[in-house]
Amino acid sequence: MSSSKRLQIILLITALLTSSSICRAEITVALSKSFVNKYKDKATIPTTFNIDKHHNSPNPIGSGSDDGDIHIAGRDTVVRLPMVAEIINGAKEPGALDFLLQSTAGQAIPLTGVWRLWFEHPGNEDQVQGEEVPLPKNTNPDHIFEFHPVVKFGDFDVLKSFGPIEDEEAEFRGYPAEKAFNAYEKRPATITKSNTAIMLTSNKAAFNYVEFQMRLAGKPKDVGDGYIVFANVYNANAKANDEPVIEESRRMIFVKGSAPADAVKDLKKGNKLHVLGIPRVNLNLVYAIASGLQGDEEYSESLPYEMIIVAILKD
Amino acid sequence: MGLFNSTILDVIIGLIFVYLLLSIMCTAANEWVAALGKRRAKTLVRGLEQLLNNQLLTEDPRPGEKTPKPLVDAFREHPLIKTMFNGERPPTYLSPRSFSTSLTDILTAEHGGPVTFENLLKGVSKLPEGEVKKSLVALLRHCDRDIDKARFAIEGWFNDAMDRVSGWYKRRTQLWTIVIAAVLTVVANADTIQITRKLWTDPVLRSAVVEEAKVRAQKPRPTVSVEYENEDDPTNPTVTRNEGNQLSDKERDLLGALVGWHNKDNFNPFTPLGWLLTVLAISMGAPFWFDMLNKIMNIRFAGKSPDERAKVPEKSGSTVRA
Repeated sequence: MSSSKRLQIILLITALLTSSSICRAEITVALSKSFVNKYKDKATIPTTFNIDKHHNSPNPIGSGSDDGDIHIAGRDTVVRLPMVAEIINGAKEPGALDFLLQSTAGQAIPLTGVWRLWFEHPGNEDQVQGEEVPLPKNTNPDHIFEFHPVVKFGDFDVLKSFGPIEDEEAEFRGYPAEKAFNAYEKRPATITKSNTAIMLTSNKAAFNYVEFQMRLAGKPKDVGDGYIVFANVYNANAKANDEPVIEESRRMIFVKGSAPADAVKDLKKGNKLHVLGIPRVNLNLVYAIASGLQGDEEYSESLPYEMIIVAILKD
Repeated sequence: MGLFNSTILDVIIGLIFVYLLLSIMCTAANEWVAALGKRRAKTLVRGLEQLLNNQLLTEDPRPGEKTPKPLVDAFREHPLIKTMFNGERPPTYLSPRSFSTSLTDILTAEHGGPVTFENLLKGVSKLPEGEVKKSLVALLRHCDRDIDKARFAIEGWFNDAMDRVSGWYKRRTQLWTIVIAAVLTVVANADTIQITRKLWTDPVLRSAVVEEAKVRAQKPRPTVSVEYENEDDPTNPTVTRNEGNQLSDKERDLLGALVGWHNKDNFNPFTPLGWLLTVLAISMGAPFWFDMLNKIMNIRFAGKSPDERAKVPEKSGSTVRA
């Protein structure tokens, strides 16, 4: 083989490797172990949140990113990662929206929200919990952490927002179960640990909202601020004998006081609900995996996830 | 035949293979010793004692008691905690919620009905002076007189203490790994120098080891598997090592041919050095040697035909019911 041919092959391989690594764009978030242990089985986190940038009106309601959310970028005192807070069904919370519009840049407010780690907008830089969080430049900065949905915004209880996302003209339904869950199942993850931190690496995720039918595989467990229950996942219109879209049951998270939580808390194994949900990392499993790792051992498998249930939908 | 398809490479593969098998045995023994010695449960008890120690529940002895009761004893006797004991055997895990509920209940025992922040504050202020009282007073000061926030703060306090417990547990496990590796090495006479000599001088044995190493490289990486066993409890996953942590009969036979006290000549002045090398290698852990085996296999078979290369598998991870 001639030298020029060899050089061409080397250049081709280099280009392929470079392009594949760019496509993968893996980002690592380093989380404090005590933080993970504290919140792994909680639905929400109460914090003090600085409002830095915000939408002036909710997203329109339709499909895809037209999800009716109000985006607020900010920084907080508990999680201390780049983040956004999202009030779902923004049009149904005029009091909270008015309060937001009257807020000043950087204003600190009490906020409680469902914690959500998900690599939806990870950007290109690793994130370390506790490091100084840069001032966001827009309402959707690079972030892996969200308060989504918000439960309490300032003095405004926004639990009413946990319902079908609709207006007079349209209803937002999310992606079909089969498509979204098959994508969630294939999310990559690498988990490592140090004495004080857990490092979680993955790449950009898609399919934010998903509509599905859940059938309880156990009984709901009260975790203080919510309920957690195992459920099997079916297509929204699944019949009794249909197969679930994924093999194993998944943890479903309900926020106490919300309509979905009221609907699930007294249900029994086998009962079903037609729901709208969003995925988040299952920190309970991440913590368990990290606890089982030895030394510098690395865990590389699919990303453990669970579903936040934000609405009960009509059949 | 070049360097990378040579006896040297096969000997290295054999050595890595032996280290991997011994590491897997060491991990299994460590887990067995931990279960036998109730190490995890004892560490939890130690953590709880440290958290609640040096704190009496009352200034004076209660009727029928000779001395004031320590808070830690009251905690152990609380029905919620007592039911977690299997006879005298303490639990291996205590949830932050159970801790905060039991402690709050003990501190507000005099008040009937639902627990309020004021009840809890009164209960804490009645405690005799002590470290726990100081900690609780500091925690309650930042709770906006909200009982839910107070419970949350107590759970956080418990979590921080349990992080320290995890640290102790990990350090003890690491120490036990070295102890068990040393015992295993000496009992099995796993002398790195002798193993290398056997692999170098016995081409039949070497070839059999390399073939079995290929099979081992196809198995899952020996790492953790996580599974929720109880469908009614979505908060307590069980962590185990996966099927890559088991030795096949053939692997045991080959290991038996490479290590052991076959005759008295097995011990020579270099044997302790060979043991030391083996102990150091085992303490690196099975996942490390599994990854190393895969890397060296890729080098070893890089010059083979595509069919032959296809026999060398990709590394596979463990399965998780996530």
